[in-house]
Amino acid sequence: MKLNQEELAMLNGDKGRAVQEAIKFQIEVGKFFNAERFVPITNAHVMGDIEVMGDGGLDMMTQIAEEGAKCAVPSTSNARCMHFSDEPALRPDEGEEKKERKLLIQLRKMDINTTDTCINYQTVYQPKLGEHVAWGDTGTVIYANSVFGARTNFEAGKSSFAAALTGRTPAYGFHLDEVRRGNILVNVDARMKDLADWGALGKIVGHPNQDYFAVPVFTGIDTTPPPDALKHLGASLASYGSMAMFHMVGVTPEAPSAEQAMGGQAPRSIIKVSDQDIQAIYDAYRYVDARKNIVVFSGPQQSLFEMQTLARLFEGRSVAPDMTAVITTNHAVYSDAKRLGYVDILEKAGVTLLQGVCFYILQRLTQIREENAWANLVSNSAKIVNTITAHRFNTVLRRTAACVDIACTGDLK
Amino acid sequence: MTTIVQVDRAWGPKVTGQALVMREGFSPRYDLDRVTGIISRIGHSAEGVSVKGKILVIPTSKGGVAGGWAFFDLLHKGIAPLALVFGKLNPVMVQGAVLANMPITEGWDQDLVQLLKTGDTITIDPENKRISVA
Repeated sequence: MKLNQEELAMLNGDKGRAVQEAIKFQIEVGKFFNAERFVPITNAHVMGDIEVMGDGGLDMMTQIAEEGAKCAVPSTSNARCMHFSDEPALRPDEGEEKKERKLLIQLRKMDINTTDTCINYQTVYQPKLGEHVAWGDTGTVIYANSVFGARTNFEAGKSSFAAALTGRTPAYGFHLDEVRRGNILVNVDARMKDLADWGALGKIVGHPNQDYFAVPVFTGIDTTPPPDALKHLGASLASYGSMAMFHMVGVTPEAPSAEQAMGGQAPRSIIKVSDQDIQAIYDAYRYVDARKNIVVFSGPQQSLFEMQTLARLFEGRSVAPDMTAVITTNHAVYSDAKRLGYVDILEKAGVTLLQGVCFYILQRLTQIREENAWANLVSNSAKIVNTITAHRFNTVLRRTAACVDIACTGDLK
Repeated sequence: MTTIVQVDRAWGPKVTGQALVMREGFSPRYDLDRVTGIISRIGHSAEGVSVKGKILVIPTSKGGVAGGWAFFDLLHKGIAPLALVFGKLNPVMVQGAVLANMPITEGWDQDLVQLLKTGDTITIDPENKRISVA
């Protein structure tokens, strides 16, 4: 990799040990992908909680913070693995909770805004067309690349922190023009009625095409999808397909036409999606026979508009005995939803609200499932019904209103 | 007879170990119990098998940034795999492997999922972008 004077100084240790370690790490990753240079970034979104980084990760973060290293660009943090509350059904380990609190202190020392959100693109920062960022959550990455036309790879673990500290990232993958061209054509001839339909569409395209460098181009979408629809589509494509970018003709900024989105190349495959294909996704899920079950609205965290919809659907109803309903959102949306009365309506209906977390990354989730004897997990998020499976839930995707009905009746339909 | 397989990209030290061959994509978040190191996803082709000390042979990577930290964490817990051999991967796996100083490769000129079975001894030589099968 070619390094400029500033990067050489970092590598030389002139900006401290933490920055030196960070750029060394970035160079190794860059080498794997034959990156020729670094690109400066304007924003970093770091990903790290005690559940995934463990004691080794916490020690590393503590060392960096104690050395006094600071982020070189404005930075935010992704969703956390625990909700700091007295909610008995979802309690983390006491020891791990202490560590998570300690980790948050280290992040703040490094000037990271601990927004604890996986929807930074809806509530914190919206990069512009062509802007390079380093974001560490797949749902945020695919939204940045696709909807904003900004440029980022999946920046995981130490990678997002390294980018925050050096203010740059190796130029490979979606920072490069040629990688951003569409290569799968998707003709959508289906009425997209619910956020879950967009997630189902993501599963249809993502699951059989698992490839980070696959870039689907959606055509046939004749209405302007709201941001929440694009969020569920992106999160699902990233989850099932490990994909980091899509184009939608007439909707996303690099797709004025399918030909332009594909850079004049022919697609390597063409997929057609009908109403029946979307319905077949729902029909393929099977319930297991069980008394206690959970309905989850999470993965990604709920936007203010999703909170409003859920408040409307739950108003005047209550969560059925033996059912649990959980919503997760970030601190910013929660406080607005509280002010607007949505939180009170939802709590009155018996819904549990968690702030600053995402459900599937909760610390000791397998034990939480066992303690609560939950068997089926029903959600309108195609992403979460995929990501949570290591914890041995039986997962079922349903449309939003059906999820609320299931939560309030216990009828597993 | 030794079979040599060329890979497209590779990083890390040379290692020899036993393969654990998976038929489908892998994510340490979706598929692995990171307390025990055992594949826990219901229906995964390696369900119930420990990844500890194994060279994981995986056709594709699945979503999820968890791998960025997870391999380093598994290393600290003493249950990390020895190396990662992918057909197709995403950068998370590379970032996670570099942090854990774990050899990682991508692409193969012969389909290793077909060629190998779990328990076969293989050597990963990242410098020469080569995997040898004893």
